[in-house]
Amino acid sequence: MRDQIEKYTDKLLKDGLAMPGSIRFYALDDELIVSKDDDWKPVFEAVLEELSVVGLLLAEPTLPFADNLIARSSDSDTRIYPKDSEVKTFLHDIPFIRRSALGEAGELAKAIATILRERKGLIIEGVGFVATGTVTLEQAYITYSSIFHATFIKYLLELLEHGWQLPGEQEALERFKNDWSQPYDVEKLAFRDGPLTARSEIIEEICAVGRYTVESGLVDSFFGNISLFDDGIIYISQTGASLDELEGLIDPVPMDNSSTYGITASSELPVHRRIYETSNYSTIVHGHPKFSVIMSMLCEKRAACEIADCGKDCPETRFINGVPIVSGEIGAGGIAKTVPPVVKEHGRALVYGHGLFCAGTNDFKDAFSGMVQVETLCRKRYFEMLAANL
Amino acid sequence: MFGWTGKILKVDLTSGAAHREDIPEDILLGSLGGRGLGVRLMRDFYGLDPFHPDMPLIFAVGPLCGTSSPTSARMSAVSRSPLTGTIYDSSCGGLFAHKLKAAGLDALMITGKSDRPAYLKVTGEESSVDDASSLWGLDTLDTMTALMEHGSVAAIGPAGENGVLFANIMVNAANSVGRGGLGAVMGAKNLKAVVVDGGAKTLIADEEVFKKGREDVMRLFKASPIIFGELGISEFGTPALVDLMKQRRMTPTANFSKTYFEAASDYAGPALKRTYQAKKEGCFGCPIRCKKVDSCGKALPEYESASHFGALNNNSDIHSIVKSNELCNALGMDTISMASTIAAYGEAKGRFFAPDEIIELVKKTALREGGGDDLALGSARVCAVLGVPQLSMSVKGLELPAYDPRGAYGMALAYATSNRGGCHLRAYPIANEILRKPVATDRFSFSGKARIIKIAEDTNAVADSLLTCKFAILAASLEEYAHILTGVTGVEYSAQSLLKIGERIVKEERRFNCDNGFSAKDDMLPKRFFTEAGTSGDGIEIPPIDESRFIEELKKYYKMRGLNANGCFEQ
Repeated sequence: MRDQIEKYTDKLLKDGLAMPGSIRFYALDDELIVSKDDDWKPVFEAVLEELSVVGLLLAEPTLPFADNLIARSSDSDTRIYPKDSEVKTFLHDIPFIRRSALGEAGELAKAIATILRERKGLIIEGVGFVATGTVTLEQAYITYSSIFHATFIKYLLELLEHGWQLPGEQEALERFKNDWSQPYDVEKLAFRDGPLTARSEIIEEICAVGRYTVESGLVDSFFGNISLFDDGIIYISQTGASLDELEGLIDPVPMDNSSTYGITASSELPVHRRIYETSNYSTIVHGHPKFSVIMSMLCEKRAACEIADCGKDCPETRFINGVPIVSGEIGAGGIAKTVPPVVKEHGRALVYGHGLFCAGTNDFKDAFSGMVQVETLCRKRYFEMLAANL
Repeated sequence: MFGWTGKILKVDLTSGAAHREDIPEDILLGSLGGRGLGVRLMRDFYGLDPFHPDMPLIFAVGPLCGTSSPTSARMSAVSRSPLTGTIYDSSCGGLFAHKLKAAGLDALMITGKSDRPAYLKVTGEESSVDDASSLWGLDTLDTMTALMEHGSVAAIGPAGENGVLFANIMVNAANSVGRGGLGAVMGAKNLKAVVVDGGAKTLIADEEVFKKGREDVMRLFKASPIIFGELGISEFGTPALVDLMKQRRMTPTANFSKTYFEAASDYAGPALKRTYQAKKEGCFGCPIRCKKVDSCGKALPEYESASHFGALNNNSDIHSIVKSNELCNALGMDTISMASTIAAYGEAKGRFFAPDEIIELVKKTALREGGGDDLALGSARVCAVLGVPQLSMSVKGLELPAYDPRGAYGMALAYATSNRGGCHLRAYPIANEILRKPVATDRFSFSGKARIIKIAEDTNAVADSLLTCKFAILAASLEEYAHILTGVTGVEYSAQSLLKIGERIVKEERRFNCDNGFSAKDDMLPKRFFTEAGTSGDGIEIPPIDESRFIEELKKYYKMRGLNANGCFEQ
């Protein structure tokens, strides 16, 4: 348990998700293990007594977006409804407790426990995100990361739609823009030249490129998948594998389905397979860069359109600076149909509210560069639109 | 009521009397249904021998049965196992559950013993105990064919009639109330079959909440590679796991003396699909449809059956595996215990049996002819008789399934703590240790596993009481099913309130077992796993399990459950 606490504290800091000094893990083995013994300990001890979980995480996010969403919500609101498809699928909604409702420790513990009986995580305004793990502390980390991702996207979309509403909001966003607008430097990253054919070399390269996507700040570690196709085999990251920790987690999946040990492969395997079946590409990187996700959800026809669930039902292929945007749900039957045709033609595809697929012909340099280009473009376009709207 | 019918039908086979009773609402709300309800109703019967006429055999459904909740048209049968002596429940799919609910019942409780072969017929509000003399001796398929005009049938075959200690109750051709021998309990009552029919509808309290929960579950199913992935169980059935377990070097081979079987791919999911032109079939109302049938509609083996009639018996002949499975279904026997008992018998005799011999032993066991009379008692008793008790690869007398515990330490602990003996499904830690759901854990570490197993046992007790399929819980969670349950019943449930119910169910089972003399000595794996290494290779080391570390984690488990060092309650 202590090694897990150390690992995920480190990851929260490296991913830029939590403020230093704010991270508290409360883990249950046969006894309670606490990473920081302070005033919050009795509150979360009381919460743990009410729940059947292995542990809890409390940390303050590095960005104020979740708090701003709560402050902008109407008084009767008690939940944030994510707009991105990944978090919508796995978390459904994100409950919150308002600063004004924070009572004494016992009451607060009860309020937190009440929410966590139903949901995996919540936001306490002015304090941070709380997340549970029922099997490992990694789950708490994933839920925390998902709340961060969902509130980031939702808040920036809200700004575009409704403008500034809170004091200090504009200044905070300016600071964020400066901090988050550093260019991605692909040139300093080392990519092996393709075609790669040796199994060990292929697996090493996939692991390295996975790390690049996280270390460069393009994506959070938990979301995404990556593959290479060679000689009838798709080498693909396993389901639930962190992109920066892929060692030992690459499944070689025969294209002809003659073996099923790839059952643990990423849920996006059908998308990767169709792309390889229908094109000459040999590498694919898929992640959820935040500005790409945001821009995928902006549609000028929205007001006049009758489709209620755009992420699932929109039949159109839209474009942002030549990058196609398609819809479809995660997994079987959804994006496995909509993504491959546009990747075949354009080498990349944005999926509504979900993320970005980029393909390469020989090695990973093109695919990775494609992801950087699209995210850079989307970030630029977002701030241009924000400036124009406000 | 919404969700539940609030009714139980109690039938005494000795007198032939039957009457409906109300089930107190607090029992339904607190036990949910299925396993939870059955275990609650068994509370006063712990001292009875499984074959005593007063021992109840309970069929129970859940509050979601009769709705379109994904994977929820299942039934539990509950009694005391003649194989293990523990309390016992087993769930199965098939139309029977749906029809039992449509007959206006949450549960059916059968006691007594008929003086002649009989079958119980429930049609709506009416019920009767009818003569089944002409059916006695028939296999399960012929029995179902004979009775299907009256409704959906749950029947035993010759194995149940002959008291095979791992006899099943079969529903449809391949849905089994398996493992613990409840078919023998039914046979001891001279009860050949139960037939149910009805037209009542399950009422839903809040259609909108229900619909939202259902959509959430379906979205998670679609996003799950294990369920709807191209290599998942919907496509290849559970034999999709054959290749995976081979690759992870944890295929029980040659009666667990090895953990790798090179020829396993000969009967893996793709081989079964190719050889038998396998088609999808599913439990009633299930969107996953993981069952596979051949081109004639005959059921093909599940993962456990394929692996144990295969690797466990050093057998790579796909046709003998399929035939053995088919015979077990027709004769009404558990495939895991049958295959494992044959493997233990083979090792005891100094050689594993040839494909044709395995098929013959299956037949002889059901009919209790020749050596089959011994095999009908299960591996623990056979090995004890032969003077080699250590060769029975079982816990509490229940033969271990097809996940070698040396390859997944949470599974090792879960086999030991399971209240019904060596079962993979009480906690199914394979989900996190191998299938990476909901997150991956280190399969070669005991760290944190006691709590993981405790929570998983509670979760699966809920699943067995709501009667959702365990595979559903690989993709969705109690969070989504709590939402569905709230929508159906109008009673506010949450994932955590359900876990509390699961905890109570597991506790009640352990109390039943402790009252029958079970204790820490029974929560133990066969010695082989602590003293012999598995088959290492491909960079994967399979050492023996560290026994002291295993016991340390077992003690933590007891502490978390509020048990004493002997695995029981102080009071």
